Amino acid sequence: MKPFLPPRVAVVLLAAGLLLYPLILSDPFYRDIGVTFLLAAISASAWNIVGGYAGQVSVGHSMFFGIGAYVPLLVYTLWGWPPIAGIPIAMVLAIGLAVLIGLPTFRLTGHYFSMATIAVAELIRIFVSTWDLVGAAIGLQGPATARGWWDLTFRSELPYYYIFLAVLGVVLLTTAMIERRRFGFYLRAIKAGERAARSLGVPVRQTKLQALALSAAFTAVAGSLYVIKTGFIDPDSAFGILISVQMLIIAALGGAGTLFGPLVGALILIPLQTATNSLFGGGGSGLTYILYGGIIVFIARFEPGGLFEMWQRVAPRLRKRLHAA
Amino acid sequence: MKRISLLLAALGLAATAFAAAPARAADDVKIGVMFPLTGNAAAAGAAAKAAVEVAVDIVNNAHPELGNIPLAATAGLPNLGGAKLDVTFVDHQGNPSVAQQLATRLITEDKVNVLMGAYQSSCTFTATAVAERYGIPFMVGDSAALNITTRGLKYVFRATPIATDYARTYMRFFADMKKEGKKIGSIAIVNENTDYGTSVGDAIEAEAKKSDIPVAIRIPYAASSTDVSAQVLQLKEKQPDVIIFISYTADSILYLKTMKSLDYKPQMILGDDSGFSDPSFIPAVNDIAQGVMNRSAWAIGKPGSTTSKINDMYKAKTGRDLDDTSARNMQGFLALADAINRAGSTDPEKIRAALAQTDLKPDQLMMGYQGIKYDDTGQNILAATYLIQLHGKQYQLVWPATAATDKLQWPMSGSAQ
Amino acid sequence: MVAVQVIVGGLLLGAIYALFSSGLTLIWGMMNFINFAHGEFVMLGMYVALLVVVWIGGGPPIFIAAAALSLFVLGIGIYLSLIRHVIRGPMLAQILSTFGLALLLRYTAFFIFSANFVSLPQTSLAGTIKIGGIFLPIAQLVAGAVAIVLTVSLHLLLTRTTVGSKLLAVAEDRSAAMLMGIKPDRMQALAWGLSAGAAGIAGALLATAYPWSPSVGETFGLVAFVVVALGGFGSVLGSLYAGLIIGLIQAVSAFWLGAIYKDIVVYGLFVALLWLRPQGLMGKL
Repeated sequence: MKPFLPPRVAVVLLAAGLLLYPLILSDPFYRDIGVTFLLAAISASAWNIVGGYAGQVSVGHSMFFGIGAYVPLLVYTLWGWPPIAGIPIAMVLAIGLAVLIGLPTFRLTGHYFSMATIAVAELIRIFVSTWDLVGAAIGLQGPATARGWWDLTFRSELPYYYIFLAVLGVVLLTTAMIERRRFGFYLRAIKAGERAARSLGVPVRQTKLQALALSAAFTAVAGSLYVIKTGFIDPDSAFGILISVQMLIIAALGGAGTLFGPLVGALILIPLQTATNSLFGGGGSGLTYILYGGIIVFIARFEPGGLFEMWQRVAPRLRKRLHAA
Repeated sequence: MKRISLLLAALGLAATAFAAAPARAADDVKIGVMFPLTGNAAAAGAAAKAAVEVAVDIVNNAHPELGNIPLAATAGLPNLGGAKLDVTFVDHQGNPSVAQQLATRLITEDKVNVLMGAYQSSCTFTATAVAERYGIPFMVGDSAALNITTRGLKYVFRATPIATDYARTYMRFFADMKKEGKKIGSIAIVNENTDYGTSVGDAIEAEAKKSDIPVAIRIPYAASSTDVSAQVLQLKEKQPDVIIFISYTADSILYLKTMKSLDYKPQMILGDDSGFSDPSFIPAVNDIAQGVMNRSAWAIGKPGSTTSKINDMYKAKTGRDLDDTSARNMQGFLALADAINRAGSTDPEKIRAALAQTDLKPDQLMMGYQGIKYDDTGQNILAATYLIQLHGKQYQLVWPATAATDKLQWPMSGSAQ
Repeated sequence: MVAVQVIVGGLLLGAIYALFSSGLTLIWGMMNFINFAHGEFVMLGMYVALLVVVWIGGGPPIFIAAAALSLFVLGIGIYLSLIRHVIRGPMLAQILSTFGLALLLRYTAFFIFSANFVSLPQTSLAGTIKIGGIFLPIAQLVAGAVAIVLTVSLHLLLTRTTVGSKLLAVAEDRSAAMLMGIKPDRMQALAWGLSAGAAGIAGALLATAYPWSPSVGETFGLVAFVVVALGGFGSVLGSLYAGLIIGLIQAVSAFWLGAIYKDIVVYGLFVALLWLRPQGLMGKL
């Protein structure tokens, strides 16, 4: 099945596009959309590792995002550290939580597992909203004005954009490496059927835990990036279920289990979201979420493999037409 | 002959048309207003939006019947050559990240001169940070969190009272009641557990401690609870003399109904605005909640008064009376317009300076504040509130005695007897 | 005395939990499928009740029947147009399908009804009676009683009728059922109809006693999961007991620990169950 464009060319074009975007569309608002897009792409790509490749559909990934979001502001509020110093700590905690959650829940299959992830995320959200140390329902704030470059409170969106882009690059590179290695093979085998995988000698439990831990670490980084840009966190914006759902939709829309699927999904969904907000937002009707819901049902019903899979089917025909013409 | 006269007539008409075209005396003033128009607070956001629209009408058109309200008598802003206010409303959905993005958009794309908003404190936090970064003045219409104004920001102003103001008002009220011989042995605080309820609850608890009034029990709960009977039973057990509710609409109604069905009535119930001021509150519970108290810096006042006329304008637009929260937003907006007028320019720096020098007197306000004057954190230090009580189907002003229009009923009677 | 009051209140609410959870457990037992939009069915039942009262001024029997019927039809419709197609597909699609449905239903309700909390205008079920020092709001009492009756009826339907045994046959062994001439597709559609219908009735019952807004679907959905996990996936009788127990635990923890902690306790219980006894009280795994 020949792709439409040689993959190398496509990737180079994509990378160039992403690098040049904030320089071409240099208005702060457009750059902000770019930053939001990158954040969504990072989160969705992180989720993709365990949800897309391994087929373990977690609907509670906000628990990792939330940890990544709270810890930097916590170290700032408690000890005056620059928020980025909290990122490694957040990653460690997220990995710890992943193992803690994974050990018992990975015994459950399919829907059970998803339900468990929802419940745990909700539990954490409610708990955090009652815990005074982390600001309870009121939340935490970041540095209002920069004490130095390390506080990362920039006036312009540009530094945020490139930092986030670099992180996205790391996540995608890691995923690409996994794809080619044995680990990736294990993940795909697990997705195709756990029992069969086990009989093939795949260390199922260990692999799933590793995938979840890696996914959790990256998701936590996404949370940290979010909070560094926004400067504020509270239980809802950290652990809310819509955060988990958004990661899921974006990855599924583009194609869960593919390298660039989440990125494509974000590329479509984020501008769409901003547009519906600008067009209808003032009217107050929540059309954005109705749209989300409709898109998800549509993907589930007609194109579970996401746009990538759809493209794989349509591209050869397009190619034929072009060559025939 | 006919053709020439037709031509002349046409030219004449054209000439008159050009002459009569309104000379654009000055650019309109652009204001960006951010409210939650979807999500949990959508109803409050919509009400606040309607209130701001009425305020825009008051400023942009001549309303000489509204007394000393600044800019009411004239059409547009006199010091800017009659320039009108051009408001862009946006919906941040209660999401602080969206609020941040929208603030950026309003400033950089829509090129607003000032901003206002945003109801939820979380959204106000992020939006004000953006405004500060770009040097655009931001009027906080109604957000309770203390640290919105304590971050050392120069461009943020807040005309409304905040949690500590309310808490202190309540304590002053209790002190008054004690002087009259009423028993206030202990109070209970029942608050919904998002940032609004928590920050006000915290403030009240702190002030109660300072005033030596024991808090028998503090009950945080989720506003979306279906059933609160266990909580009412907790209260029944502790028997506080006064229960202070910091609740939204559905939960306020739910609590009152549950208390009735469990046959429990404390001496006094005091609602911290929000749910207790919602238009659907009184119709839902007025047969069981007689004597319930509420705070409001807004009172409709006697027919024919300025506030009553403003209420009529709002009622004509929405079919409901103006509520306290929306009124505070409206007042913030009017104070903002006043400052822009005094600045005589759309330059954000000049507007900021004018805001800092605001000194509005009580008779220039629609709210019951003692004035509007900001300290150097941008907080209005003359913000104040009345206490009102449900008598029949309306709230009446009962405290302080100097402003009271009706007698305070203590203890509350509960059912309309 | 207070303790009894707390317990009674918890049991009455728990009965309604049992009713709407019974539908969820039926689907799970039959199709190994969790409907993430189940809470939204309850929410829709509540709004149907409201519309009936507001438009035609019907009393409880009418709006309860209306909720049952409309949700029954909706349930079958959803099965035929969506579920039937995703059930054989990848896990992601299955989960996405009802998740997306939940969002669609919830936000469409927000769009149509706004986020304001609403409650039914005073119905014939207003007022409270007092028995031996315990206060029993009539609406809650009737709701709870009807819920128990209906849940038991559903159980009897499944175990004592031909239709019921057909449903259970498909649940137990789809291919064998097909060999016996039972059409699994039809049975599954029926199951979805019953599940949604039960949720709809539960919603209408809840509407008589409590206020709501479109967001309640989320909370009730989670409660349903917990009840089903405790009662055992696939067991309607199990969800009856579990519903009562959860209602009880909620009320008791709300009273002794505080309102916020009641949610923590219930979700914590859920998580513990999934860890320790995934098959619940009476289910098979």
